[in-house]
This record gives sequence, C-alpha cells and structure tokens, in this order.
Amino acid sequence: MKNLKSQGQSPVSALAILACAMTLSASVARADVVAVVSSKSQITTLSKNQIVDIFLGKRTRFPDGSSAIPIDQAEGSTARAEFYTRLADMSPAQVKAFWARIIFTGRGQPPRTVATSLEAKRLVVEDTNAITYIDQDLVDSSVRVVLTP
Amino acid sequence: MNQRSTRFAVVFLFAVPLCAVANEPEPVSGSSVFSFSGFGTVGETHSSETNADFNASIFQPNGAGHSRSWSPTVDSLIGGQISARITPELSAVVQVIAQQNYDGTYRPHVEWANIKYQITPDLSARIGRVELPTFLFSDTRKVGYALPWVRPPVEVYSLIPISNSDGVDSSYRLNLGDFINTTQGSYVQSNAQQPNNRGQALARNSINLSNTTEYKSLTFRVSYQHALLTIASLDGFLDNFKMFGPQGIAIADKYNSDGKPVVTEVIGASYQPGRWFVISEWGHARFNSFLGETTAWYASSGIRVGQFTPYATYSRASAASNSDPGLALAGLPPGYAGFAAGLNAALNSILQQIPDQSTVSLGTRWDFAKNVDLKVQLDHTRIGAGSDGTLINLQPGYRPGGTVNLFSATVDFVF
Repeated sequence: MKNLKSQGQSPVSALAILACAMTLSASVARADVVAVVSSKSQITTLSKNQIVDIFLGKRTRFPDGSSAIPIDQAEGSTARAEFYTRLADMSPAQVKAFWARIIFTGRGQPPRTVATSLEAKRLVVEDTNAITYIDQDLVDSSVRVVLTP
Repeated sequence: MNQRSTRFAVVFLFAVPLCAVANEPEPVSGSSVFSFSGFGTVGETHSSETNADFNASIFQPNGAGHSRSWSPTVDSLIGGQISARITPELSAVVQVIAQQNYDGTYRPHVEWANIKYQITPDLSARIGRVELPTFLFSDTRKVGYALPWVRPPVEVYSLIPISNSDGVDSSYRLNLGDFINTTQGSYVQSNAQQPNNRGQALARNSINLSNTTEYKSLTFRVSYQHALLTIASLDGFLDNFKMFGPQGIAIADKYNSDGKPVVTEVIGASYQPGRWFVISEWGHARFNSFLGETTAWYASSGIRVGQFTPYATYSRASAASNSDPGLALAGLPPGYAGFAAGLNAALNSILQQIPDQSTVSLGTRWDFAKNVDLKVQLDHTRIGAGSDGTLINLQPGYRPGGTVNLFSATVDFVF
C-alpha cells in the first residue's frame, strides 16, 4: 500500500487492483467448467443428475435415446476436480473409489480420459454422441453448453 | 479352480498388459482391448481377546488375538485384474487375488473369471465365475479402497461369507426419468474349502435375485438367495445321535447340512450425496442346519472433512437360538446317559458358534495421497451370553459372552 501511495495512486484504485488480482487468482485456482456437446448434437440441455449419471457410467444414453459417450479430463486436473466437486460434491478420491467398485467387479471401465480441455473439446466436436466439460473460455460455435454448474 | 489353472490365470494376468501397452486408444469411445488394474490392502489388526481369533472371513484359518497379537492376515491382500473388451458387446474379466487361504498359504486364487455379453445397452448376460450381488458391498468386499470402512461390518457380511460363485447371471437395467432400476438374477454354485480340515462348503442350485433402485444419491437394494448347502464335516459327529432312536435321528436330521436349503433375504439402502453418507443393511439367513438362523443389521454414517472421512457404525447379529436341549437323558441306562450328555454338550458348543453380538465401530479414512488411503478403526464388540460371536479358534480359556476390542489400521491402494 505504501508503495502504491508513493506512486501517487489512491487507496481506492489500489483496492481495485487488489480485487482484480484476487479475481484473477480465483479463476486460475477454480476453472469455470461447463458441460458441452457438439453443436451438431440434438441435445440442448441436461440436468446435473443426468450428466453425473453419464459420467459415472450409470446411464449410457441421452434422454432422447441416443448413446452418450463421456470424455473425462486427466486425474489431478483442475477442470476434473471442479467438475465432480460442483456436480456431485465428490472429491477426486471419491470418484476414484467409485470407479474401483465398478472396475473390480468387471462391470465397466471409467470414461476415456484426455489431458486437456482443448483435446476434450476436439473429441466432442468430432462425435455428436460425445459429452465433456471444458473451461468456459473455450466455448465457441463448435460446441453447445448443456449445463453451467 | 485347480492349481494349474490358477497358475495359468496369473501368467495371463501379468503377461497380457505388456502386450497391450503398445495399444494407445484412438477412437472416441474406445479404450484399448485390454486394461489392467490392481488393488491391495496392507493391514494390521490387534484384538484384546487372547483366547480366540478375530477374522472377517471364516475361510481363513487364523486371525488376531490368540494366533497373533497383531495379525496382518485379516485384511491384507493383493489383487490384479485384466478386463478385455473384445467387441463393443463382448467383454471378459479375470481377477486374481492373493490373500491368506484356508490352508494358511498365500497361493493366488481366481476371484472372478467371466465373459459378458451385452445383448442390448440395458441387458447383459455373464457366464463364468461371478460375484453375488447380495449386499451393497458384496462385490467389492475385498477392495478396501472402494469401501468407506476397514472392512464391511462382519455381523451382516458373515451371513453369506462366500465372495464368488460359478454359473450364469443376467442383468437388466431400466431408466425411468431419474430412476435407474437394475434387476440381476443368477444361477450358480460354489465350492469353498474350509480351514482346519473341515472339508468343503458346497452350495448347489443357488438362485440369486436382486433389485437395485438408484435415484440421485439414494440407492436401495433388496435381494433374495436360495441354495442347497452341503457341509459334511459334522456328519460323523451327528451320526452318534442316531443310536438313540427317533429323538436322536430327529436331532441329526435337524442339524446336518446335507444339501439343506439356505434362504437369505437382504434389504439395504445408502444415501451418499457426496460429502457425507448414511448406509444401512438388514439381512436374515436361515440355514436349516447347525449354522442356525441369524438376523443382522448395521447402520453407518460418515462425513468428509478435507482429506479425512471419519465414520461411526453400529452393527448387530442376533441368533434365533444358541442352544438345544438335545437328547432326553431320563430313562437312559447310566452308561448311555453319560454319552448322551456328552453329545448334548458338544452339540451346544457347536450351536454356541452361531454369531450373536453387537459392535460399535469408530474410524476414519484418510485420503493422504493419490490412489492410496489410510484407515484406522476401533471396534468394541459385545458378544451374547450364550454365543462365541464371530470369533474362531476358540481356546480352552475362552468364555462366551465377553467383550472384545479391536484396533485395525490399513493402507488401501489401487493401481
């Protein structure tokens, strides 16, 4: 503050800078993820519960009956942690434990995992049955947001 | 499975992923044909009862207490699994687990080995060695990482101690709005070796039905099993009763397990909105033999606080009866009366082994690193006055109806 003052800035503008910085750091720590499908998909909107069920393998189809292919992001990624925390209130360890139950009974395998939001978006654009979650900043005309958690 | 096929399965399990490594997934929906996964638990259990052993499985020969003050064998195990997706409809799974066996060895055994055909997206059929979907956690009772506790409550889960069976099963899933309803039916048999030269426990013509409803965070399951159970180890002993005429024959017929129908019913519910959980299951098993009739239930709840998920559980098993008047001694010649009294006492000591106990458990799960958790759990068990509870390897100094304190610490991992 002393530094800023000495540069002739008012405390108010200093606070504004501080607020900006806080918002910025918040958006870095907490990526705003949205669930998306291809813009060519017939799906327009989905409920939280429907999306959770698709990603946890409990549903294999969208409400219109077409098959649903979830694309997950890498374990340890901010987007993934954010997605499961916001939609299902599940920690990364809980998601892992959930899949351990499914895998070790031979009932299924977790969704395909990709390293980045860009890669996830590319796969969704390529396949109208795919669904994923990406940073809100990456949304453009090639994808349709079906849920903003 | 015999030793040779076990060895084959182990080789298969560890060799195939090496070949599959080169296969990177390409299509959107795809993953490689083979996927390998593993799980394990390293644990230690300490029991305050030194005249008997605590063990979560009746198919292990010893546990914590008498055999060892601190026992690693109660919970420790390692498992590996290969899943193969041959076509979008056809898949196979082989799971091998190494843990203490009935004979004290650690030779790996094939836990599951089945082929699944997805007839429609909602209807599937399997053939081979499968799990029984009896309890909410029967399918993962050996995968510690998938459990909120160190182990499922023994009072309830010991009602049906077997974890796999050979046969066919089918599953049908119905999506109705937010409701997901799954009906599973199987026709199987199982043959488990019992410890201490007590021979095998053979369950034939086993019919299992379960229906699971999931609605958001709520899961509700009812299941029913009917099987014919043969455990011949007591036949020689029970034959002694037959020399006492009709009343002795009646006793032998009542308590033998020579293809006796076993009926179990289970109702379970869980509510797991993410941050916390409540789970409760109730089960009833009627063996029509020396294994008696038991009703058991538990309720458990926990809440996630950062990396920790502390929990508390109360569970209880009630035996319909732990005793039998046995042979009427009145009117028997003195020599026979003594022998009959001895038989009666021996029969009652067997019936005393039907679990009647309650346990309060407190513990916590700590997700301290990726794919690894640490759990600690304290169990305080009160055993019914005429029962040995779920304890095994009873020593001469053991007195029924006491209390037992257990301390368990486990590290669970998946890979």
